[in-house]
Amino acid sequence: MSSVLKISPLTRVEGHGTVHVHFADGRFDRVELAFVEAPRLFEALLVGKRFDELPEIICRICSICSSVHRVTSLYAIEQAFGVEVNQQTELHRELIVNGGQIESHALHLFCLVLPDYYGLRGFADLATVAPGLLQAGLRLKAAGNLIQEMVGGRLIHPANLLIGGLGKPLTTAGLHRLRSALQEVLPVAADAIEQFASPLLAEVSLPFPSFMAVANRPSHSGGEIVCGNGSSFPIVDYRNRLTETIVPHSHAKQCTVSGESPTVGALARLNLGARLGPVAIASLNRHGQKLVGDGITANSLAQAVELLAAVERALEIVELLLAAPPTDCMQVAVTPCQGTGTAAMEAPRGTLIHHFAFDSRGICTATDIITPTAINQGAMERDLGLMARSLEGVDRQELARQLEMLVRAYDPCISCAVH
Amino acid sequence: MIRPQLAIAGLTACFGCQLTLLNCEAELPDIADRFNFTYFPMGMSSPDITADFDAALVEGAVSTPCDLETLVTLRNRSRLLIAIGTCAIFGGVAAMCNEEPRSRLLRTVYGPAADGLASFNPAPLERFVTVDFAVTGCPPERGELLATLAALLRGTFPALPAYPVCLECRSRENACLLIERNEPCLGPVTRAGCNARCPAMAVHCEGCRGPVAEANVAAELELLIAKGVSREELVRRLRRFCPEWDYEQRA
Repeated sequence: MSSVLKISPLTRVEGHGTVHVHFADGRFDRVELAFVEAPRLFEALLVGKRFDELPEIICRICSICSSVHRVTSLYAIEQAFGVEVNQQTELHRELIVNGGQIESHALHLFCLVLPDYYGLRGFADLATVAPGLLQAGLRLKAAGNLIQEMVGGRLIHPANLLIGGLGKPLTTAGLHRLRSALQEVLPVAADAIEQFASPLLAEVSLPFPSFMAVANRPSHSGGEIVCGNGSSFPIVDYRNRLTETIVPHSHAKQCTVSGESPTVGALARLNLGARLGPVAIASLNRHGQKLVGDGITANSLAQAVELLAAVERALEIVELLLAAPPTDCMQVAVTPCQGTGTAAMEAPRGTLIHHFAFDSRGICTATDIITPTAINQGAMERDLGLMARSLEGVDRQELARQLEMLVRAYDPCISCAVH
Repeated sequence: MIRPQLAIAGLTACFGCQLTLLNCEAELPDIADRFNFTYFPMGMSSPDITADFDAALVEGAVSTPCDLETLVTLRNRSRLLIAIGTCAIFGGVAAMCNEEPRSRLLRTVYGPAADGLASFNPAPLERFVTVDFAVTGCPPERGELLATLAALLRGTFPALPAYPVCLECRSRENACLLIERNEPCLGPVTRAGCNARCPAMAVHCEGCRGPVAEANVAAELELLIAKGVSREELVRRLRRFCPEWDYEQRA
């Protein structure tokens, strides 16, 4: 006798996904994680478009990650045409990516994960049960969105970031407004970490993840991707290192590196030695030991540390921009030519890679997009299987709850994964 | 006060319209107090699609049998069905290559494995069901979404702008990108409501809110072709958010 436990749809995640746990004679048999999101086929839509249309289209892959998609595409296109932007433009880009990180982590932690700590259905119940905590999270989220709206001109699908420069740089008044907003939420971010320090999941031994992240230096296109086993490879070489396979039950391709399913995201970055400011380092020192050992379990805590780090870094960037106010002319001339460009950045959920090929007129002839959740898909499915096997015999409803929380620990972004 | 039962669903989309609701940080606790989120998988667990809804807010185009099933179920279960965002109203970015065979697009991404996928040309909700109200935008403006929710509580719909982006752009006293800088700005044919966000940053309007009623599309094309932009490029830009324009239409 076989039976299937169906979790459909996965909730409090971005995108459409399901988990099917198959049992044979009452014993765990296998698990299928399916990203059933409707494919929008961005890699096909972009072919035939002129280079300057790409950033406007590609950011629409995902609302939560639109800023980092846009910025990554800019670096890839600029690499193809040999364009280098000035320091002010770089700072605006880094600022909006930090804003996206703050918004995304705050949304995930306070609106999507926090209800699990209270056994609630979602944010709407938190508004009555834990209004103070929800408010704190929403304040952090709003600060991230303020950055995205002021730098990008719109808080989802930013329009102000252009190839070779910026539409309109931040004004001194705008920078002051951002500084006071960020200073206000810095202590909120520091206090939030404690909330996510205790583990949510049932104690199940999960394997130590094969972490992977983009190295901080030297640049987003000329840099390297580092792995937990100490190995690294240049970003431009990603196609020889990352293998994408089509899995029959999911619309997202599955990624492996040397046969292993890598784990990317906040936990990977902190384990691989991300650059942090002094305030974030102090909190990391308090909680550091919890960030190793229990597989993906500690990812929410890692996100909380990163949330603080992103507020801290955003403040630093605002100070840098205030010290050297942007000049009027931010735009570098861009001349298209035949070539390819590859860039990788750390999106809130992990490594994001964009690759484009152009003909001599700057028309896109090929694209490749690899997103964090597509990379995490294999490890997520593996962990779901391990957890379902360990919890064999547990009441089905409780099993479903645990599996959903495990998926949430990875913070999947399914619209990105399928694109 | 009776709390309206809401369904909030996403079809073929980026979740940006639903995120726009969650981006109303200042108002969110109040919204949670006034509505029941009975079906909102992105925000709440235990979604119940079999309930009777007062309103269903649907994001995204329809491109799979699964999308269609969700849409029809919500139409049958909900007194009002509200399309949110450009994809739900016009097809949106996923529909920009609808003139090409779907099978070819699918094969570009998935190779031979594409043949097993159930996917058709992304289409707006109105192609399949009656839509009672629409809030456009990619993404929609928070203010327009909030105005819609507030109006729902009063049993009505808000009056949203039905004029082109140029009107808002001129009232902000922005430099005209079309006339003064010869840029292919789509402001004259695009529905307002965004307060000309992009032109205010010296970035030309890409038309993300879709066609304004009675758009003078033919004149826009003539003007830009006279400025040296190719018709091919213009059509490609117009199609980015709405695959079906009447290029001959004059106001």
